[in-house]
Amino acid sequence: MVQAVDIIKHGGSRPTEKFLRDKLRSSLVAACLSTKAPEGQAEAAADAVCDKVIIWLQQRPEVTSHDIRVVAARHLKSFHPEAAYLYEQHKITI
Amino acid sequence: MDILSSLAIVTLAGLVHASFQLSVSVLTLLSGHTIGAKRSHAKLLRLTSSFIFGTGLMTVLLLSFTSLVLLNIFGKNAPQLIWAMACGLMIGVAIAIWAFYYRHEKGTTLWIPRSMATYLNKRTKLTKLSGEAFGLGLSSVVGEILFIIAPLFISALVLIQLPAIWQLIGIVIYTLVSMLSIITVWVLIGSGHTLARIQQWREANKHFMQFTAGAGLIVLGFFVYVYQVLGSSVGVI
Repeated sequence: MVQAVDIIKHGGSRPTEKFLRDKLRSSLVAACLSTKAPEGQAEAAADAVCDKVIIWLQQRPEVTSHDIRVVAARHLKSFHPEAAYLYEQHKITI
Repeated sequence: MDILSSLAIVTLAGLVHASFQLSVSVLTLLSGHTIGAKRSHAKLLRLTSSFIFGTGLMTVLLLSFTSLVLLNIFGKNAPQLIWAMACGLMIGVAIAIWAFYYRHEKGTTLWIPRSMATYLNKRTKLTKLSGEAFGLGLSSVVGEILFIIAPLFISALVLIQLPAIWQLIGIVIYTLVSMLSIITVWVLIGSGHTLARIQQWREANKHFMQFTAGAGLIVLGFFVYVYQVLGSSVGVI
């Protein structure tokens, strides 16, 4: 179980929030589904990546939302490279 | 200017317009959110079709409005000074495209302010109805007005010289040509190509698109200046 980690939002313009596994998971599932991955595969990949991100968070009391995105994308790459690419690109498409 | 040359100018201006990427970026995001939210393929097609219809309608409205304003002010023949100004505008916008159109960072981030990009991103994510997608299409064209104004203005100047029926044909040609890029992306998405591959292509070729948009405007500006401004002056002499 991850300790309470504060997530500093992009640009610091919004208040910090606690890390929520479900929020990260749903964004990862959405990225996998966007590449037309089967639902089961998307959920399995998202769960595995969430576990790895939580391990990474163990030693960190606060991180930025951008850090989480980078780390999650790095781990997702080994499960689904196309989904990882889309996940990375989400904030830099426009 | 004869009809063929006029329509050629309108077509090239439409191609330059087609190389602007805000609508394509929003369409890519809209498709990503729709597929990621497990909505049906029919829903995806409805939303993206509405979006494209919105961009088309706004392009028609902007071009018609610009033409109407110019026609009311100058009549069928705009003064040489206005033609020269239009050429200057095209060269200026071309340089701006080369300098600012894409940000110097990863992805396909555009020149638009980050707050506006964040808003469009959120708005795209919240889009569930065809009407909302239509509105998003309208606003994505208006969002690029600073760059679109150059091809739009020269097309309007060319169109007001033509007979009424050719003006309509010119507007249709401009609109269809300017929508080529989003129609291509729409067809690719509809036929099952993954968004990742489309986005990878866009990222890999963004500097090429940026260069061709700027170069297209410079060629157009130079051609119109020689044909309409210098040509008329020589004719007078």
